[in-house]
Amino acid sequence: MVHALREAHRVLKPDGLLLDLRPGAVHRRVGIEVDSQHKQLAIMTESLKDDYAANRAVAEIIREGLFKTVSRIQFNCNRTMALTDFSSWLADFPTDRDARYGRLIRIVERAFEEVNGKRKKIVVKGPLILKVLKKIVG
Amino acid sequence: MIRVDPERNEIRALKEVGTWRGKKVLEIGCGDGRLTLRLAGLSPKLIHAIDPSPNLIRAARKNIPSAFAKQIHYKVGSAGDLKYPSDSFDRVVFSWVL
Repeated sequence: MVHALREAHRVLKPDGLLLDLRPGAVHRRVGIEVDSQHKQLAIMTESLKDDYAANRAVAEIIREGLFKTVSRIQFNCNRTMALTDFSSWLADFPTDRDARYGRLIRIVERAFEEVNGKRKKIVVKGPLILKVLKKIVG
Repeated sequence: MIRVDPERNEIRALKEVGTWRGKKVLEIGCGDGRLTLRLAGLSPKLIHAIDPSPNLIRAARKNIPSAFAKQIHYKVGSAGDLKYPSDSFDRVVFSWVL
């Protein structure tokens, strides 16, 4: 990760900006939306190890004097999907907690069965963070 | 289909960084080009967008609207070995990759 950030420093023009956009190190909230009404069902237990490692890598290149922080913006980002897409989306998260994910899928499936309404969808909520760093030459 | 950020908060935040008009941009981790197309709408001069997955780059190339065809260049590539000369870009966007 640090190497990738050093590469970014190399290809940036002097005073160029590096924008680090990624989900915040916070567990995502899973809910169901029916006819625009949202109901939270569960909080995910995905590993946040990679997020912390990325934060450390960014802190390291700032310490090295390659970049300085210009701003940090946090905002909400939703992902919406049909029930059929939920399991495959969940499979993208490396975890040693498959049993918990199995339980999460069952909770979501049950909620889907219990509610009436034509426009049902799963909504996963979580913050995105945009860090803006300026290249330092010297 | 999974829709990411239907409210477009992401691109709103990227706009706050300042003008993109005329900028040379490198997007790292472009995937199927979801964010690339939104960035292209901010009128940068050029976007080079890379991703290590050939399948995703193929999908991104397939989805490119003709209006952006000259502006966006998709390529298979990795963040750790950027095949570009030094001092090439005004902005480098790490798109959900770090």
